[in-house]
Amino acid sequence: MIDTTDHVEAIAEAIRVGPRVLPVAGGTKPGLSRASGPDVVALDVSGLRGIIEYDPAELTLTALAGTPVAEVAQALADHDQYLPFDPPLAAAGATLGGVVAAATSGANALRHGGVRDFVIGVRFVDGTGRLVSGGGKIVKNAAGFDLPKLMVGSLGGLGVMVQLSFKVFPRPRATTTLAFDLPSREAQLETMARLNRGPVQVDALDLDRSGVLVRLGGDPDALAARARRLCEGVEADVQHFEGAADAAVWRDAAELSWVPAGSRVVRTGLTLRDVPGLDAALAPFAATVRYSLAANLAWIAWPGTRDLADLDAALRSLGRTGVVLTGTGTNAATDARTGGSRLIGAPTGGSFGSRIRSALDPHARFLES
Amino acid sequence: MHDMEERVIGALAQLELGDRLLTSPAAMASFGSDALTAFHQRPLAVVLAESVDDVVRAVRICHRERVPFVARGSGTSLSGGSLPVEGGIVIALNRLNRVLSVDPDARTATVQPGVINLDVSRAAASHGLAYAPDPSSQSICSIGGNVAFNSGGAHCLKHGMTSNHVIGMTVVLPDGELVTLGSDSTEPAGPDWVGMFCGSEGLFGIAVEVTLRLVPVPEAVRTSLAVYDSLQAAGDAVAQIVSAGLLPVAMEIMDALAIEAAEASVKPNYPSGAALLIVELEGEREVVDGDAARLDELLRASGASETTATEDPDARGLIWKGRKSAFSAVGWLAPDYIVQDGVVPRTRLGEALAEIDRMSAEAGIRVANVFHAGDGNLHPLILFDGREPGAVERAEHLAGEILRLCVSLGGSITGEHGIGVEKRAYLSLMFSPDDLALMGDVRRSIDPLELANRGKMLVPETVS
Amino acid sequence: MQHAIPVASLGPQAQPMADAIGSCVHCGFCLPTCPTYVTMGEEMDSPRGRIFLMKEVLEGELELEVALPFIDNCLGCQACQTACPSGVNYGELITPFRAYAEEHRHRDPMDRAQRELVLRTLPHPRRFRLAARLGRLGRPFAGLLPASMGSMLRLLPDRVPPAQPLPPVFPAQGERRARVALLAGCAQQVLAPDINWATLRVLARNGVETVIPAQQGCCGALAMHTGAAERAKPQARRNLAAFPADVDAVITNAAGCGSGMREYGLLFKGEPEEQAAQRLSDRTMDVSAFLDALGLRELPSVAPDPIPVAYHDACHLAHAQGVRSAPRKLLEASGAVRLVEPAEWELCCGSAGTYNIEKPAIAHQLGERKARNLLATGAQLIATGNIGCMTQVQQHLAALGHDIPVLHTLQVLDRAYAGTLHTKEHTA
Repeated sequence: MIDTTDHVEAIAEAIRVGPRVLPVAGGTKPGLSRASGPDVVALDVSGLRGIIEYDPAELTLTALAGTPVAEVAQALADHDQYLPFDPPLAAAGATLGGVVAAATSGANALRHGGVRDFVIGVRFVDGTGRLVSGGGKIVKNAAGFDLPKLMVGSLGGLGVMVQLSFKVFPRPRATTTLAFDLPSREAQLETMARLNRGPVQVDALDLDRSGVLVRLGGDPDALAARARRLCEGVEADVQHFEGAADAAVWRDAAELSWVPAGSRVVRTGLTLRDVPGLDAALAPFAATVRYSLAANLAWIAWPGTRDLADLDAALRSLGRTGVVLTGTGTNAATDARTGGSRLIGAPTGGSFGSRIRSALDPHARFLES
Repeated sequence: MHDMEERVIGALAQLELGDRLLTSPAAMASFGSDALTAFHQRPLAVVLAESVDDVVRAVRICHRERVPFVARGSGTSLSGGSLPVEGGIVIALNRLNRVLSVDPDARTATVQPGVINLDVSRAAASHGLAYAPDPSSQSICSIGGNVAFNSGGAHCLKHGMTSNHVIGMTVVLPDGELVTLGSDSTEPAGPDWVGMFCGSEGLFGIAVEVTLRLVPVPEAVRTSLAVYDSLQAAGDAVAQIVSAGLLPVAMEIMDALAIEAAEASVKPNYPSGAALLIVELEGEREVVDGDAARLDELLRASGASETTATEDPDARGLIWKGRKSAFSAVGWLAPDYIVQDGVVPRTRLGEALAEIDRMSAEAGIRVANVFHAGDGNLHPLILFDGREPGAVERAEHLAGEILRLCVSLGGSITGEHGIGVEKRAYLSLMFSPDDLALMGDVRRSIDPLELANRGKMLVPETVS
Repeated sequence: MQHAIPVASLGPQAQPMADAIGSCVHCGFCLPTCPTYVTMGEEMDSPRGRIFLMKEVLEGELELEVALPFIDNCLGCQACQTACPSGVNYGELITPFRAYAEEHRHRDPMDRAQRELVLRTLPHPRRFRLAARLGRLGRPFAGLLPASMGSMLRLLPDRVPPAQPLPPVFPAQGERRARVALLAGCAQQVLAPDINWATLRVLARNGVETVIPAQQGCCGALAMHTGAAERAKPQARRNLAAFPADVDAVITNAAGCGSGMREYGLLFKGEPEEQAAQRLSDRTMDVSAFLDALGLRELPSVAPDPIPVAYHDACHLAHAQGVRSAPRKLLEASGAVRLVEPAEWELCCGSAGTYNIEKPAIAHQLGERKARNLLATGAQLIATGNIGCMTQVQQHLAALGHDIPVLHTLQVLDRAYAGTLHTKEHTA
């Protein structure tokens, strides 16, 4: 067992001293981890690193919050298991705590669920310096408030995570990817909606500039037949990606390699129905967008030269909220109107959120957004 | 009647609910318990809400008059979750039972809280979609209660609990404020307030509109039965299936007593033995066929004395009817029983079962076991006859010992029924004083007067 | 659940009542099948709610008069008993409780008069025939009468078929396979005498000789199920004497009568007749269950174009007697029909003995709901096993503008044998 006493004490002390604390580790999402303002102290928790408990027969894993995702993924892969929520930016050095705080579920989360569906336990230091726990290390648990879920998307604003427990699954024994080249946006969206309803259950369903991308995973013997069924009734040229090519397609998605240089990446939840509206809203700004999770999610590459306030307005008009993940190319002057906020678009949580914040962080030691 | 009570009734009367405001002794008696009859309290009044506005106005009156209120759907909680507070108000939501919309493209449904669990799947069926969480009481339990207690079910092994399927909601806070949490997208931005609300046992207010994820109805479902000569052997088989990388949608175990109860009740014609393992596979035709071949091999190798499998919907329906009726069916075996709901790490199932068996023998109290083996979620049913002096106390003591055992093995005191009034005293087995203090702070940040479902999960601090 | 009912001081019926209450675990599985809970959405009007109320009344915790409106709302359909996983015998609770309540309650004169009128008329074929004729004259004034009296008049048929007296014995055709006695029924004899004739013909064709004891009378179910146990007892005694012991079964073809006779044992619990009553109860069988168990000797010829038929489960057959598959199997064996299953099979149609007279508003809602569920199947004929249901369903189908024939299961079989099922005049 790794002794975390010193780390926890240091975190608690930093919080008590203040004035404001922002936990950081891998730094893969600089839009979130960039300390803004003179009173904000960046608290590096990357020393909280290591897997605490992992029994493959248990299908659960507990690790310190600063543990790199890649380290965990490798340990799981050794036993043919995986984190089904497909955390992105693993190669870049993303950590478990960062993935939970940013709620970054990746493209392959479509099959079994996102970060919120797999985090089962947390230990964190709250805004008063108390080390507290929620959830547990078992897959099913209804005791007490679901604090592990509360940490998902909390952006370091409700506590500093120390340790996390996850449910894990056996990983698909084989995967294959199909790309459908469809003639119009309408056809693309119609195809996505149809594929998402089954009966063939897909692991990932994305829409990027090249078209609709579908990944199938499972028993290698059944994969070809399932892929054939998937193509039935889709009037499109289909390109197949196998082996290394299949892996490359999704590594490109996970590591955001498709994002044009100098862009900021904003992640926003939405539904398939919002796609034409977002397309239209983004058109004047030459922003690039990749829809993921059957268009429950959009990754927006916002040109660094453009004012983020325009995106803020666009998201508000759709009633959606965006998280500004990377700050590469941030133009402080043009972003003045959003105040460097990490959350843009429609506000969430209302007074429910502000009241819970007041309990976890009564002295406003953390950043709200 | 006290002045205060008169004032509250008077204020509620101003809502002009007519016969939807109940105060008669008969009504108060029948709303006095949920599915945990060991507890019974007469409320002051029951409001039968038929609109969101009814709920908001009733809650505002409670807040103004400082009267505790309890939301109630179908009243099927096994932890006393919808037990009224004496002198408090019950806000009944069972008439708020409309499925507001089903969106097949987004695979979501938006429903009122009184909608019955199974009715969501019925409403989605024409689109080839279904609502996955399936508590045993799914034919009657309501979505509002499922949300409040983060209900589970046999098929949670693969699909997850209620909170994994709730993505948005409109909530009446304990002071009557209406807020929206989450959205119709599965991807939240900012803290997962929806996830936090699920399982909060009514302490954060009343969800009046809930947006749920739907899943495709699987094209093939195959249910296998395997008989073992001991619970331990059945538990080991579960571990082997998990280790082999198979992901069944459900894995359930029933012991001989539970089988006897089910046979007395709904007659599912289970093969007889010391332990019965039910394993269900679902998905595409090719996937189920492939997994079935592997599963059959594993079951053969695991020492099952008999195995059968079926895809026939009627036969499968009967298997599940037997399983899902098992709690209530135990009423055939003993006049009284306590249902427990502990969780242990799945690799320690065998150890836990052996220890429960030993404790049962030592106490001289029969314990039937029927449980979600795939999740390590045990449901020991402690049988007793309340007419014998001291029997209730002995049964409760054994129940407490079993919960301690679960926690000592690294598990939980509840997998899916919640803390309610029943297990409040055991929460400190799992959580430190700081953890509990934080939960209290969180609760009072939302509800400083501790009016919403007072007395459930947490001991109220502001009232004696 | 635990209770503190003073069983010893409440008479011989108290133990079955206490047992039913004790075995209830309040799980709520009964709620979705309870017609009053489904329509009213109140806990007091649910099976487990009523169990609580009856428990508290018997314990002395609650005034009887306070609980009674909700007890009275119960249709006695026993759907809750089918749904119950804990084996609560609700029938053995509600029937004795109603008798207990009848002894202790206050009824106003109008209420009492109506109740008397119903209980003195319906069980007597001659009186009922007369009342039906007179009632038609009174129908224009229905609106002027209290709601329940008006609904009673509205239930009366437009025309009463001529009486068709039954023979003392109806012999088997060919080799005799069994000998049974038939309960002829009261209202059924007046409203649809053809049901008995169809029963006799189908039984005979399958080698069954039927005796129709002349001394028999009303089974007493109406009185028993409405709390008038003391009125039911003389009726039951008469049948105890009238029905012979040397038959293979006592056959009923009205679900309510069948379930009534099967409760004779409970009715006489703790009395000298108990054993004899229980023996008669044990020998009583619905005609569909009897025929299905015996097996049809001769199958009607298969029709080229089978009619879609929805079988409506009468509560007193499906829930009270547990007979669901037998009538369906017989209908399918007839070769002339294709069975279609209505939604909410377990839900009562609202007829429920005299319920549609006593609680017309709820009965109306249930009747309409049942009619809609039946219509949604696309059925061209409705089959069922109870005269009360037939009347109720027919009326509500008609109110929705559908003139679909509603027949007894045995009438369908009889017509199938005769090859006349497809002829319009024979189905109507």
